[in-house]
Amino acid sequence: MKIGVPRALLYYYYFPLWQKLLLCLGHEVVVSPETNKEIVDLGVKKSVPEICVPIKIFNGHVENLLKKNVDYLFVPRMVSVEKGCTFCPKFLGLPDMVRSTFPELEGKLISPKIEMNSEIIAEPHCYQELKDVLNLSDKELRKALKVAKKHWLKFRSISKKGYLISEALDLVDQKTVPPFENQGDITIGLIGYVYDIYDEFVSMNVAKRMRGLGVNVVTFEMLEERIIDREVKQMSKVLFWTFSNKIFGAGMHFYRNKRVDGIIHITAFGCGPDSLLGKMLELDSEKFNKPFMTVRVDEHTGETHLQTRIEAFIDMLRKKKKKG
Amino acid sequence: MKVSFPYMGTPIGYKKIAALLGHEVIDPPKPTQRTIDLGVKYSPEFACFPMKVLLGSYIEAIELGADTLISSGGHGPCRAGFYGEVQSKILRSMGYDVDLIIFDSIKRDFLGFYRKVKKIKGKHSWRDVWYTLKFSYHTIKILDFLEQQIETVRAYEVHKGQSTKVWEMIEKKIDGAYSDAELDRVKKEAQEMIDEIKLVQVPEEQKIRIGIVGEIYVVMESSVNMRVEERLGELGCEVRRSQYLSEWVDFNLIPARFSPSREPEILRKGEKYIEIIIGGHAKQNMGAIVDYKEQGFDGIVHLMPFGCLPELISQSIMPKVSEDLDIPVLTLSLDEQTGRANSLTRLEAFVDLIRTRKNGKCIIQVS
Ligand code: SF4
Ligand code: SF4
Repeated sequence: MKIGVPRALLYYYYFPLWQKLLLCLGHEVVVSPETNKEIVDLGVKKSVPEICVPIKIFNGHVENLLKKNVDYLFVPRMVSVEKGCTFCPKFLGLPDMVRSTFPELEGKLISPKIEMNSEIIAEPHCYQELKDVLNLSDKELRKALKVAKKHWLKFRSISKKGYLISEALDLVDQKTVPPFENQGDITIGLIGYVYDIYDEFVSMNVAKRMRGLGVNVVTFEMLEERIIDREVKQMSKVLFWTFSNKIFGAGMHFYRNKRVDGIIHITAFGCGPDSLLGKMLELDSEKFNKPFMTVRVDEHTGETHLQTRIEAFIDMLRKKKKKG
Repeated sequence: MKVSFPYMGTPIGYKKIAALLGHEVIDPPKPTQRTIDLGVKYSPEFACFPMKVLLGSYIEAIELGADTLISSGGHGPCRAGFYGEVQSKILRSMGYDVDLIIFDSIKRDFLGFYRKVKKIKGKHSWRDVWYTLKFSYHTIKILDFLEQQIETVRAYEVHKGQSTKVWEMIEKKIDGAYSDAELDRVKKEAQEMIDEIKLVQVPEEQKIRIGIVGEIYVVMESSVNMRVEERLGELGCEVRRSQYLSEWVDFNLIPARFSPSREPEILRKGEKYIEIIIGGHAKQNMGAIVDYKEQGFDGIVHLMPFGCLPELISQSIMPKVSEDLDIPVLTLSLDEQTGRANSLTRLEAFVDLIRTRKNGKCIIQVS
């Protein structure tokens, strides 16, 4: 079977797992191309106007895959990957939205319900729907999941060495991965959802750009989970949704960590959770005496604008650092 | 404590609890454009609309001297937790020192609920608290019972605006009733007042019934939804909402075994369109639409606050629901600059369409 996976949303976090899983089960995996203008336009057309940019882009990728004549489309329903906390409502309702937006997908959608209390989403109960649709035996699924899990854990360990996800997605297929060496003179904590930071259209490769300017870049997925958990637990309640929490926790950690000189928050237009967590972090910037900048990207943001703002921020950090 | 609470529909229920437990109650101001402007000014840009208006309401209540603010949250994944936290932080950064107490579903967080009640309880005995809660529940039950009648008769009143005036008087009376006996007496009076409203006779087959669904705050609070119930009434439509305060209590605060709540049934009906609870009332709304259709309603008005995460999913699914069930749906997105004139025109056109459709002349879908 040809199974389509949209290069959007949590593709940037879980693709190695899902890819291995489907491959091990003997299927062909078709991924939509890097987000481009055409995909964005398709997505905008298919979405309600007020919805956030990442969801619009997701719809564009679905449309793109539909044209590729895939047999099935893989759109998991991401409910929860930690205890007591769920994903943003849009993830919870994603398959429902896709089903009514693309009536032609009837019978072609595979949306296993991912409900776990751990990030390692390789338990058979999460893939019941996949099992039903593809007619798998318990044993087949279990075996494939085992391989997929190992592959994903390797991917995560590459991130934790300090590689960007865009790099880790390539490196995960190599036998050995050299340690990563930072060479910049300043360090910036870059926070944002994986589908914003690593979508080349949304972020215009902001992470690589920063590295090109001699900056060390750290992101939430490079941190150990327990570091983030510790920050989040200090709040009086668990606040947001899973990935919003991670970003918030990483942000707090970057404030406290002496090696980090400043924080940049990348957010896509129309994200409510980001708006709130951005505000909370911004209010803390003074307390920690650490610069914080928000970069909001929409369908029309120009590259020069982004480049100028980032360069200015970096200059400012360098001057601040020299002054001590 | 000087206690206040934001409007979400009538605040009479909260008021009774606070007053009976001996707190000084600061009558909350009904949201106005100023409230909204204040909220918008101090809220993050993409915060959902209810959160902005609530923040504005808090600021206004504080200006009136409140030091404790009580509110109830939504439930499910889209919840009050982050509202409260961010709002507290913003209020603090503005130099206000207040306690923000937000009640969430007792079923989610029993301990938290208990702690909050204890804070408000003061020196009163638990028996007093129990009585107070019961009394307040009784009050809102009566209010909802009477309001539903108003929502019907408003469509057929002879003197335009009379039902709304009667309703305002009823609210005042009930607001002032502080014992069971008084409440009963007031209820009878209110019933008489409603029965006295003169009505035009309309044949059954020409009656139009509209169900209002959407996010709980904008559905319940008329000052932020262009008074859509009154508008529909003026256009000759009977109206029901998918949310009434007493129903929220039935489902969220009363143990399932004793609860008269229809919500589980409504949720089941929504399953076809949204499989799981995704937050806010998105799934309930789907169920409510199915339910309204089964009851023979003629159209649905879907109210959604700007930036509401779950309702954006609802909105995406609405065209399909409307088509499947063959029921017209009008989605109105509400925010600080909701073009009132524009929305009103859309509402009128919608009612026209339903009327024509009812007379069997044409079938068009609106969304
Ligand atoms: S977290 Fe923000 S960007 Fe992501 S789906 Fe939800 S609203 Fe959209
Ligand atoms: S349901 Fe909508 S309006 Fe309510 S908190 Fe969630 S996003 Fe805001």
